[in-house]
Parts: sequence; structure tokens; C-alpha cells
Amino acid sequence: MASYDSDDEVDYATDPAWAHITPLPQDDGENPLAQIAYHPDYVVAMSYLRGVMAINYHSAQVLKLTADIIGMNAAHYTVWGYRFKTLMALEASNGFNDEETSWSWRKELDWVQSIAKQYEKNYQIWHHRQLIINHLNDATGERERTNEMFASDSKNYHVWTYRQWLVKRFNLFDKEELDTMELLLKEDVRNNSAWNHRYFITLGRLGTDSPADGVINREIELAKVAISSAPQNPSPWNYLKAVLRKGNIGLASLKDFCEQFAPIDSEDEIKSSHALDILSEIYDETGNLGKAEQALVLLAAKYDPVRKNYWRYRKRLLGSNENVPTASEKTPIVHATA
Amino acid sequence: MSISSPVAFTNNPDELFVKKHVKYIQSLDTRKDEFEYWLTEHLRLNGVYWGLTALHLLNDPTALPRDETINFVKSCQHPSGGFGAHPDHDAHLLYTLSAIQILAMVDALDAVDTAATVTYVAGLQKPSGVFAGDEWGEEDTRFVYTGLQTLKILDRLDAVDVEKAVGFVLACQNYDGGFGVVPGAESHSGQIFTCLGVLSLTNSLDRLSTASRDQLAGWLAQRQLPNGGLNGRPEKLEDVCYSWWVLSSLAMLGKLHWIDQNKLVGWILSCQDEVRGGFADRKGNAVDVFHTVFALCGLSLVGWGGLKEVDPVYCMPVETTKRLFGSK
Ligand SMILES: [Zn+2]
Repeated sequence: MASYDSDDEVDYATDPAWAHITPLPQDDGENPLAQIAYHPDYVVAMSYLRGVMAINYHSAQVLKLTADIIGMNAAHYTVWGYRFKTLMALEASNGFNDEETSWSWRKELDWVQSIAKQYEKNYQIWHHRQLIINHLNDATGERERTNEMFASDSKNYHVWTYRQWLVKRFNLFDKEELDTMELLLKEDVRNNSAWNHRYFITLGRLGTDSPADGVINREIELAKVAISSAPQNPSPWNYLKAVLRKGNIGLASLKDFCEQFAPIDSEDEIKSSHALDILSEIYDETGNLGKAEQALVLLAAKYDPVRKNYWRYRKRLLGSNENVPTASEKTPIVHATA
Repeated sequence: MSISSPVAFTNNPDELFVKKHVKYIQSLDTRKDEFEYWLTEHLRLNGVYWGLTALHLLNDPTALPRDETINFVKSCQHPSGGFGAHPDHDAHLLYTLSAIQILAMVDALDAVDTAATVTYVAGLQKPSGVFAGDEWGEEDTRFVYTGLQTLKILDRLDAVDVEKAVGFVLACQNYDGGFGVVPGAESHSGQIFTCLGVLSLTNSLDRLSTASRDQLAGWLAQRQLPNGGLNGRPEKLEDVCYSWWVLSSLAMLGKLHWIDQNKLVGWILSCQDEVRGGFADRKGNAVDVFHTVFALCGLSLVGWGGLKEVDPVYCMPVETTKRLFGSK
């Protein structure tokens, strides 16, 4: 019998190890809408899976079978669910490791990682991993594994969602996490996922609590440095505004900083529509309506004409008491998950 | 996914090849190309929903045989009341919504046991208000939307805790105004659509302040790139399916005019195959039914002549939602 994590091909129909399972072919009925032409290997493997599920059979053999099917169709959610049930059944009967069938949780996690690299868009993989790590109650090595994934796609949404779950579940709001985000942002200052995660670990998790001394200033400086290196990058601007709100610091404190990137009286030197946007708010707040309008006109006409109707809307709000579009007052509450 | 013949992208970005698109969708029913996106069984029920919605918008709702469609949906229902992607598959919320939407569009909701469906959906709500996608347990804002829309169509929102579901969605709003899959997760246009959908179908959009809605609409408008196409997150590539996620969200916020619609229309039309029909995610790639329906939905939202109107909250023809819910 092929060990469950090997690449050896199994011929389910002739392998004596599978003789006790009765394959169940797919029943499409007479409905042409249901009929699909599959690769013959897939048809055979699926009929054995149906046979296995029909008698609720769990063994290391099932790991090989489900791995085969996942290799042909990684998005098949039924297969993932049954695989997890099998893993739990194996643990219940053999413990965390079984030398005879050579299965272990560690092997499973290695296998999951190799599949994750093959199918980067798949999310069932990450849910499977989450179920396992939650069950094992041990996050050792998991951050390193997600870092490996970031090396090939630093914006993979499923990996980031998993990473946040990991941080919440194991309370990893620590220096290692901050350092990793700094590193990712150094590699790509436009990585919005990393900015979002940084906010999540520094301020977002606090709910209505106040941040520790120095955190607000540290984050303001970090955002400013990032902006200086790429002034037209929206992510650190959004981040900066969020940090100011959290610290109850008025936008007006950014006037000089923004004017560096958008001196509205010397149009040719304007390098950032985002700076212009914030300046229009600052001028509006401080009663300098003429300049506020000038900034919005420049945005509509020259620096962001695709959204000219938005900028015109903003112009209509000038001088009114209506709020300029800004973030919700509410800070997302980070739920502790069990 | 593979393509067997080269895609002939149009050089006529002013024309929508309606007949070709109808043909393309019909051909999916008979073509036995195992790599074809919608024919893969784990998406089959979704595929039928996408194809049928596209045909409705193209004004050819009977191009898929009605009886076969209903029988197929029936064969996907489980004793639990939920629906699987295919007769042999486990039930999942994503397919349950597709099943109910298909039946709603062909006006055949009485063909299945909808009381059991209500029980199935209600059983997936968790104490935090979120919904799991299935018994396996993935939880995120997509499933809040799919669960609530299913119940809304069946007029049984009373079967779950709507206030808690809304609370969960509100907790997913980020500092940039957008929404993610769970609290703290990065803003993503697809999740924004599902969250605004939940708020709209429960009449809770006013739970977001005017300023917060404007900020969100501004973020969505920033998704438009200089070539006219829309992306899903900052610094990502444009993709035809975001013509739906972004536009429907802007429509729910009443700010469709904040983007350059002409540029977007030209860009969407450039992604169609004028010989075989269908749309690709972007010019140069293979067409599939998923991107075809969302291209048509996007064109419909900006009022492309000859297409039926699509409802931005439900992703079904307005004709259907009017019949279900009365005029809005
Ligand atoms: Zn797409």
C-alpha cells in the first residue's frame, strides 16, 4: 500500500488494499444539466470516496485517496471536510502519530503547505489548516509558514485572513509581528494588506481602549516615512488618517507635511492627489474656503479626473457643517475567538 | 482552465454581441470540455445561476430549458434542506442561495421543500451573528449575505437573529471605510458588496453615518484605473468581475456617478469574445460564465441599452425582485 503522503499512483480498482471498499458511481439521473465529462482517474477516485463515505470508513488509506482527489480538484469542499473527519478519527484511535501507517499531524501540516503553494487561490486549504491548528492548540512554526507564502504572494487574501486568525487565537500581538510587517512594508511599501495588518496589531485590536504611550507617534512617523518614499501611494495616507483619529489628533497637524507634496500655488510641483485631498479638508476646517476649492478643482481637472464627480460633490460640501467623508467613528471590535 | 481556440477579442468596443453571448451560455450546457469553468461539478449549481442570470439580462430567459433546470435544482437538495453544488455533494450555503435564486427567477419556489431550507440556513447562524458556510464551519461575511438573502427570498428573515448579523457586518468595517471577511480583515470589494447587501436587504444602510458611506463610496471610486477598469483592492489588477462588486456597491450607496462610466463600459466591452461569445476577466484571457454574467451585470447597472435591469442588492433581474418583494 502506498504511504498516504507519497506521490505513488494507486490503482484503486486492482489494489488489494482497496478490495474491501465498494465503489459507488455518480448518479446523474437522466438530467443532461448534471452530466459532466471527467478524467477517468477522477471518476474512479470519486467513486471510491463515495464508497468510503457510505460506510463512514476512516483510515490512513483515506488520506491517500482524499489527497489524490484534492490534487485533481482542490476546491472540492466535500473532500476536505471528510479528510478532516478522518484525521480526527485517526487521532482518536492511534494518537498523534502512528508509525505503522506513518501518519502524523506534522506530516499533514507539511502536506497542506505543499498544496497551498500549488493552489494559491484556494481557501479550503486555509480553513483546513485553521481547524488543525485550533485543535492542536499549538501555533509553533505557523507564522514562518505564512511568511513563506508571503514570499511568493505578499497580498494573498486567504493567507492574511489565516494570519489574523492565528494572531488573535494565540495572542501574538508582539514585537515579532510588528517586525514582520515592517519588513514586508520595506519590501513593498504599497502592500495594503501589510498596512491593514499593522493597524490590526497596533490599534485596531484596542476597541475603545487607549493605545500605550508612544504608539501613536511611532505609527505617525512610520506612515510619514513611507509617504515620503512614494507620495501617491494611498495605503499609508489612509493609515495616517486612521492613526490620527485614534489618537484624537486634528488633521490640521498635517498641514506642513501635506504642503510638501502638494504646494497648490505651484501646480507643477504637486506630487500627491492624496495630499491635495487632505489639504482641501484642512483649508475647509480653518475657514480658507478659497484654497479648499482650489485644491478640489485641481483634483477634478488634473490630478484625479476619473473621479471628477466625487470631487465636485466634495466641493458642494465646502463650508457646510456636513462632515467631509471620513472614517466611521466606530473602531472595529476585534472579537476574541475561541 | 484552458482554451481550445484563440479568443477573438473585439475591436468594436462600442458593440455588445448579445446573440453571441446567448449562444455561448447555451453551449456550456452541451460542451463536454472538462476544464470548462462552469462545468466543474463543485461549482455546478453556481454555474447554472450565473448562466441563467446572464440570459435573463440578455432578454432571453428561456434559452435554458425550464423543466430541466428545475429538476436539476431539485436533485441537488439534501434532506437537511440545504443544496449541494451537484446531486452527490454536501450542502453548502453558497449553493443553497444559488438554488433559491434560480427557482425565484423561473418562478418555481414551490418545487422544493423551502421550509427545510429555512431550517438549514437558520442552523448555520453562530452566536456572534455570523453564518458558517456549512457544517464544516468556515465563517465570514459572504455567508451572512448568502444566508440572509436566501431567507429574504423565502420571506423568513424572522427565522434568524437579524440584529446580531447586522452587528457582525458592522464590526467588519475598516479604517478606510471598506469591509473584509471578518473583523480586522483587509477591505475587499467583494466583501464590501456582501456587507452592503446585508445592510440593504435588512434596511440597515442608515447604520452607517453619511460620512462613513461617503468615505466608502470614495474608496470604491478609487478602484477605477486609468484604463477604465476596476480592481478589488489597492494596487491590484483590474478584473471584469469587479464591474459587479464595485458597481453594485456604489449603486447601493447611490454613487454610481462617482466613477467614469463611459471609460468603464469601453473597458468591459473590450473583454468580450466577439466570435464565440462570453467575457474574460481581462482582455487576452479565456472567457468563462462567471466573468460573463458579472460583465453583463455591470453594463446593466450603468444602463446599457437592450439589457434588462439588474438589482444591485440581489444580483437578479429587477423583474424578479419586484415580483418577490413588490416595487421598491
Ligand atoms: Zn474576476
